[in-house]
Amino acid sequence: MAPAELSVKLQASSGSKIRDFLNANLINILAAFLFLLLAFFLLYPIIAVLIKSLRGPSGFTLEYYRSFFSKNYYFQSLFNTLLLGVINTVVCLVIGFCLAYMTTRGPWILRKPLKIIALIPLIAPPYLFALSLIILFGRNGIVTRMFDLHWQLYGFNGVVISQTLAFIPLAYMMIENTLMSLNPNLEESAYDMGASEATILRTITIPLLAPGLLKAALLIFVMTIAEFGNAAILGGRTPFLAPDTYTMITGESDFNMGSVLSVILIAPCIIIFFIHNYLLEGKKFTTIGGKPVASEPRKITPLIQAPFIIITTVAAGAIFICFAVVFVASFYKILGVTHNVVLSNYLDFTSNQAIYNSIRVSFVAAVIGAFIGVLLAYVIVRGKFFGRTFIEMVSLSGFALPGTVVGIGYLLAFSAPPLKLTGGIMILALNCVFRFLAVGVEAGISKLHQINIEIEEASADLGASFLTTFYRIVLPIMFPAFIAGFIYTFMTAIVSLSAVVFLVSPGFALASVKIFDAAVYGEVGIASATTMKLVLIVTICMLILNFIRNKTRLGGSMKKSAAV
Amino acid sequence: MDMRENERPMLILKDIHKFYGKNEVIKGVSLEVRKGELVTFVGPSGCGKTTLLRLIGGFTDVSSGDIILDGQRINDLPPNLRDTRICFQNYALFPHMTVAENVGYGLKINKWPKHRIEARVKELLEMVELQAFADRMIDRLSGGQQQRVAFARALSLEPKVLLLDEPLSNLDANLRLVMREEIRNLQERLQITTVFVTHDQFEAMAISDRLVVMKDGLIEQVGSPIEIYERPANEFIAGFVGYVNFMEGRVASIDENTRNTVINTEYGKIEITLSQGDINSADEVLMVIRPESVNISLDCGGKGQNVLSGALKSYMYAGSLAKCTVKIGDRTMIIDQYNPRDAQQFKHAEKVEVHIPRSVHLLKRKR
Ligand SMILES: Nc1ncnc2c1ncn2[C@@H]1O[C@H](COP(=O)(O)OP(=O)(O)O)[C@@H](O)[C@H]1O
Ligand SMILES: [Mg+2]
Repeated sequence: MAPAELSVKLQASSGSKIRDFLNANLINILAAFLFLLLAFFLLYPIIAVLIKSLRGPSGFTLEYYRSFFSKNYYFQSLFNTLLLGVINTVVCLVIGFCLAYMTTRGPWILRKPLKIIALIPLIAPPYLFALSLIILFGRNGIVTRMFDLHWQLYGFNGVVISQTLAFIPLAYMMIENTLMSLNPNLEESAYDMGASEATILRTITIPLLAPGLLKAALLIFVMTIAEFGNAAILGGRTPFLAPDTYTMITGESDFNMGSVLSVILIAPCIIIFFIHNYLLEGKKFTTIGGKPVASEPRKITPLIQAPFIIITTVAAGAIFICFAVVFVASFYKILGVTHNVVLSNYLDFTSNQAIYNSIRVSFVAAVIGAFIGVLLAYVIVRGKFFGRTFIEMVSLSGFALPGTVVGIGYLLAFSAPPLKLTGGIMILALNCVFRFLAVGVEAGISKLHQINIEIEEASADLGASFLTTFYRIVLPIMFPAFIAGFIYTFMTAIVSLSAVVFLVSPGFALASVKIFDAAVYGEVGIASATTMKLVLIVTICMLILNFIRNKTRLGGSMKKSAAV
Repeated sequence: MDMRENERPMLILKDIHKFYGKNEVIKGVSLEVRKGELVTFVGPSGCGKTTLLRLIGGFTDVSSGDIILDGQRINDLPPNLRDTRICFQNYALFPHMTVAENVGYGLKINKWPKHRIEARVKELLEMVELQAFADRMIDRLSGGQQQRVAFARALSLEPKVLLLDEPLSNLDANLRLVMREEIRNLQERLQITTVFVTHDQFEAMAISDRLVVMKDGLIEQVGSPIEIYERPANEFIAGFVGYVNFMEGRVASIDENTRNTVINTEYGKIEITLSQGDINSADEVLMVIRPESVNISLDCGGKGQNVLSGALKSYMYAGSLAKCTVKIGDRTMIIDQYNPRDAQQFKHAEKVEVHIPRSVHLLKRKR
């Protein structure tokens, strides 16, 4: 019996009818309210974009789409974007696989350091890599000047390289996850029957990982084609959809064409999101019980080792160099051009103002996001109403939506009554809230799955109302999820660029936008220093998150051992 | 049997130690396994049985000691070059292959020609009675069938030593009995040297030529099932292989010729025929009294030899067997009365007589 139903019975004699009704239906009322929020702040802006792309001065028209498909330029842009996605995905998968293989199957001493390097880009705003490439290979780059290089950074090459570096952690994490869930006895059985390392990879590991690899590939593809910063900073004259949308809106104020580009950009995302959620659901090879254990190091043969080691070293080295370069560049006006070490980049007033603004916006986003995340998780797990999975899907879909599209959507949806938000801090915060909900919601869901519903029912049995139960039992248990949602939203919001770049008002600079502008105008020193500040903030957030995660895991295992 | 003892052992473990970090998991294990023998490592969970199998299979390296397979030291060979084959506890069948592909995997890897693979797979599937399932995917098989596939796959290349890690632990009780008989029959027929691992002492006794009882990374005793059950080396083993009533006593006298031995206990004298050489007069001993070795009868007043009288606390009749709990002094003794005939009378009895057999095994008590 649901807690709510029970409490109705228990209170029927004492409470007024209205209170009983509220008690019994509070979870449904809450669900309806949350759904309205999702609809208004996530679905409505997207729909607004769709409508804009189909409506001309005299009503419905396909004119803008025809224009898109008839102009070579747009076609080139679409082609570049898709090609970028494919190349990026393949390269990221290969590197991610090598790294994950080494950290789960390789020698013990390499596992930890490689893992750290593979995850380090997580603390960087994605455009850190674009920035460091400019410093190294740009028109005034160190390497360019030193070797009088004529290699063209701006264009396809630069975007591919910076994107790849930025998406290594995502690829690594997803592949490591699937590798860890693979029963090591399977590979050992093949080994036992005489298979060499390469044969095991070819006949056992890769075929069994295929569904997981495909999932990772789809996700990386979606994320890379939607990524705005790298393409905008390094794209040069090569057109890509995401930055083109930006130019269309901010440069030419052509909202119709901007919307068309957005719809074209979002279409593959939506298709892939559905493939990801429905076609691949449950497509995982299962094996019979037995505890999964860390796989012991394989006696990898040198021939197999070589490509793995080369690829992991190159990737790890590149990541390291990019960080180092930005760090060093932050102490020069323009690294390689000016030669005095200065602190002025860190003291720059507008940059600090921008950081302060970013912290404010992100804090607001984090508070709202964490609350909504926890409530959504509760409604999704405990609710029993129709459409629950739809709410779950919508709330998790935010991260798959291209930021540029959400940005345009917010411009279209909230620049006029009934809700005029443009120009304020709320519009910046809210789009972050709804784009980055997924992690908070998932943390909440997994936390809720840990608690037995019986605890809640017991509380309801004792006569507690829904609200009391929620307040006394659910909230404390959900607290770690709340904090996780808070910090995650905060650190994602503070580096996010693609949506807010449409929404900032002149005179209210955000750090990410400031870095973007500085990078585009070649103010490398300021851009680097501001990036380093963001890196510092994100690192602190990560450390706190890690601390919480260890704390709560400890709590879990302590409970278990007490029960035994 | 006698002939085999002169042969070179198929597998020799020489003082094997294994550390995981600072944690010593195997603390010096030595053993010889004869060709065609089925030796079972048995011991409580966590005592290092799986680790030992993984060491033999080559999945992890020994910290010190030698592993010798058919006269060759194999310490440094990787698993794919060792002629051992392991069946993991979870079977580790390849979920993306059919039954036939699983069984034929090793043959394919070893580049057998196609027609020979087909023939061999057919033969193996017939052996485990799965001919009809050749094209099934693994997840469409029952637990018992999966077990057979794993067994067939492990046998496909006729390894010198077969390593089985708790192969029956994922099956339900009835199937476990059937499968253990099948495995034993096949093993005897094929004369394949086998190291079997289980935590189930009854399974171990039923299936093995010899048992190796382990505890905390050390071998406690090696012997045939009969030796282990009837002449356990210490209290742990006595208790591990079945229920046991212990009774303390002191050896009063041993007749050198008849081996007739008198033991003083707090309930009176017990006379036994001593069959072991490690007990001397005046030793403090522990008598190992198995529940089924004791006779129980209704108290008729007379006091005979080796008879203790006690109070019947409970009598649980279960058809072929009645479980009796008898209080003797302040000690409780469990007695299994097989083929119980006077059940009706026992049900209401209060005082009973307990007859201790003359074949009791003695353990030296440490002081
Ligand atoms: N890869 C490993 N790393 C560290 N400790 C291990 C590893 N494998 C096993 N152990 C430890 O070795 C001991 C014996 O384990 P195991 O051989 O699996 O026992 P059994 O099979 O008898 O239940 C256990 O304490 C276990 O925690
Ligand atoms: Mg084990």
